[in-house]
Amino acid sequence: MSFRTIIRFLSLGFFIFLLWMTTFPLKGWFPVDFFLRLDPLIFLGTVISSRQLITALIPGLLILLLTLVLGRFFCGYICPMGITLDVTDKVFGPGKNNNTKLSAQKHAVMRNIKYLVLLFILGTCLLGISSVFLASPLSLVTRFYGLVLYPGLVFMGEGFLTLVMPLSSALGVSFLTYAELEPYRFATQWFILLFFAAVFALAYYSPRFWCRYLCPSGALMALFSRNPVVGRKVSEACTDCSICQKKCPMDAIDSDPTRTSHHECIACETCVRVCPEQAVNFGIGEKKSGRVTGYLPARRQVLASLAAGAGSALLIQTGISSVKSEFIPGNILPSSLIRPPGALPEESFLGRCIRCGQCMKVCPTNTLQPVWLDGGLGGIFSPKVLPRRGPCDPLCNACGMVCPSGALRSLPLAEKMWAKIGTSYIIPFKCLAWEWKRECLVCYEVCPYAALELKRVDGNPVPVPYVIHHKCSGCGACEYHCPVQAGSAIVVEPMESLRMSKGSYIDKGRAIGLDLEADPDRQRRPPGHLFDGDDPGDLPPGFSS
Amino acid sequence: MFPAYAGADSYPHISIAKGGLEEATKAAVSTLGGMKVFVSQGDKVVIKPNMSFAHPPERATNTHPEVVRALSEMCIEAGAASVMVLDNPLQGAELCLERSGIQEACRLVPQTSVHAFSSSRFFREVRLDQGKNMRQASVMQDVLEADVLIAAPVAKSHSATGVSLSMKGMMGLIRDRGIMHRRYNLSSAIVDLCTLLRADLTVIDATRVLSSHGPYGPGEVISARTIIASRDMVAADAKTVEMFPWYGRDIRPDQVAHIREAHERGLGRMDLENLETRTVTA
Ligand code: SF4
Ligand code: SF4
Repeated sequence: MSFRTIIRFLSLGFFIFLLWMTTFPLKGWFPVDFFLRLDPLIFLGTVISSRQLITALIPGLLILLLTLVLGRFFCGYICPMGITLDVTDKVFGPGKNNNTKLSAQKHAVMRNIKYLVLLFILGTCLLGISSVFLASPLSLVTRFYGLVLYPGLVFMGEGFLTLVMPLSSALGVSFLTYAELEPYRFATQWFILLFFAAVFALAYYSPRFWCRYLCPSGALMALFSRNPVVGRKVSEACTDCSICQKKCPMDAIDSDPTRTSHHECIACETCVRVCPEQAVNFGIGEKKSGRVTGYLPARRQVLASLAAGAGSALLIQTGISSVKSEFIPGNILPSSLIRPPGALPEESFLGRCIRCGQCMKVCPTNTLQPVWLDGGLGGIFSPKVLPRRGPCDPLCNACGMVCPSGALRSLPLAEKMWAKIGTSYIIPFKCLAWEWKRECLVCYEVCPYAALELKRVDGNPVPVPYVIHHKCSGCGACEYHCPVQAGSAIVVEPMESLRMSKGSYIDKGRAIGLDLEADPDRQRRPPGHLFDGDDPGDLPPGFSS
Repeated sequence: MFPAYAGADSYPHISIAKGGLEEATKAAVSTLGGMKVFVSQGDKVVIKPNMSFAHPPERATNTHPEVVRALSEMCIEAGAASVMVLDNPLQGAELCLERSGIQEACRLVPQTSVHAFSSSRFFREVRLDQGKNMRQASVMQDVLEADVLIAAPVAKSHSATGVSLSMKGMMGLIRDRGIMHRRYNLSSAIVDLCTLLRADLTVIDATRVLSSHGPYGPGEVISARTIIASRDMVAADAKTVEMFPWYGRDIRPDQVAHIREAHERGLGRMDLENLETRTVTA
């Protein structure tokens, strides 16, 4: 196994390991969003769209600067997207002796596409809408592994456990018998899967099709690696056999094999290995460049892509589905768009969120789901809380901790409990207690914030639940557990959620009269109106005469 | 499946023991004749405590870990082949096992395991032949296979059913509880469930009593240092209701709908005045 193969698989393995470690409770010895922070496009795009220097993303800038020295080594050695493609290319690729099915001409035209993609994305970022998630390789690949592969594996794991259960329980292997994997389910997974299927299938035309022609991060790094310090060099021993040119997965070698398109070269050293004369090596010193002319798209195209990006952003911002903000009049706030605790105000949130899915992967109750079109086109794949799937655990603050871009603030637990995400309300004509006069009150039972109180109403033998708004955090425990089928009889909406870029949620919450302590030892004061302590006929809740 | 209620020979119907957690638990059971009366050599035992909440013992929403440990030790001493402590929790299983302290407490008891799960593969749909309204339920496979079932609830109030004691606790052994709220009258469905899940021994942890705002709390916790045991779930529940104030007020067992109905349907007895009770101090 070559040195490069080892590095690549270590890198992919580490990526998968970190994603696997992205579970609650977080261990915290290493940032699980490490790889996302390395993506130069995530750095540049997010800084532009949020108009802020986000220090957590600076590693992406460092990679970009390193490219000046080492060329596009990131693509060849570190990027989990690229390495995944190396693997799938073996399945979908054009076969051993056929590097590419595209003519040199087509290739020359198509490799400009990635610059246009980059410019389009930067164009939207200029207008404060981040479309980095559309094509940032790390955002894409994290989403793919975390939201498509991982739940699939868990599902198969459960299937496996069910299958072996008769055997394991007969043999008394109790850790196997009673192992329970938390099932995960996500929205939009079909779209993500189809997208990746398409990217994998493009290998039919050429290996690393994505990296060659489409990847905007690759394009960004290409701009910095026109003439890297360390790069491909060919010695006098070259006999012009052109084997290297045929085998190069990036088509970075000129028809004159001593010349290299360094901005396309990912330093994978395939050429070094295939050269029968051992004429190729990577090092410092004089190097020849090839096909430099015309490597950037024409000015017209540049402007057009930038304008297309900016225009799309403009369209999104003037679309009716844009969520209410400082700039947008009216009061559109989809009732299903409950953002996770600590989410920045909607605009800043959308400017920063790179839709990597880390928060959804880490959420222990699986309540965080990728949004489809609930928040307009600009909100696609961003996280929302789906209370019917699970409640937001008051003792968990994991999503903010793993968010690489700071779209969700990283909050200490005490603060997190005050980061109100919505308010619940009761639909009395669906409620088993209100409408059906049944002893239910599950919502009251499960509310960790003691935000539900019981009251007596005339003509109803059972007490009925009421929401105390200033105590409700919007966690959704009530909606999740409500036994009413189809829609719950108690529903959380993003009403009165706290969305702050800075400052303390506790201070703010106290200032506006909230009382959100999910403190286990706090006493719930018996509501005076629940029953009359002096009237022997009036009994406490649940008792009947 | 479970031996029918076997009358009270020379032992009392209900035993009450006061004192430390472990001592009181052991004394309450030995007053009923000792664990050997309930558990025979090689039996599989299931203990059903409250461990549905990710709360520490002080909060009195879960059975005290020491009580559960004492019970499982007694079962093993009496010759049980295995003891399983089971519940289908309301909150995340792992958190419940951890914060309730029950898993840790039972870690060193031989042949004993503590599990909280909700996956469908652990449950089996069974008929409730004596059910009046609810006539089927999805019950934990391990419970169906057990030789002995011990109910070990904590004493607490409950917003919907007044109290949550041994009978209400049986809801933790089935998969779909929502249906009991949604489709049936909850109290009546509890009795239907207990026609099948009829504990051989009931040991109620009233060392701390959550006397208001149950089942989740926080509510008023009375420190009572008491264990109440009986072979009759209904009698144990009834006695517990009678012994403590609920929301600061005296309540009669017949004011709890599911206790009243269970008595009427002959599942057990709540006529405490006719039952022999023995109180010991451990
Ligand atoms: S949504 Fe709530 S439960 Fe889910 S990860 Fe965030 S803090 Fe944790
Ligand atoms: S009432 Fe509010 S705080 Fe309570 S469970 Fe419902 S959403 Fe959560």
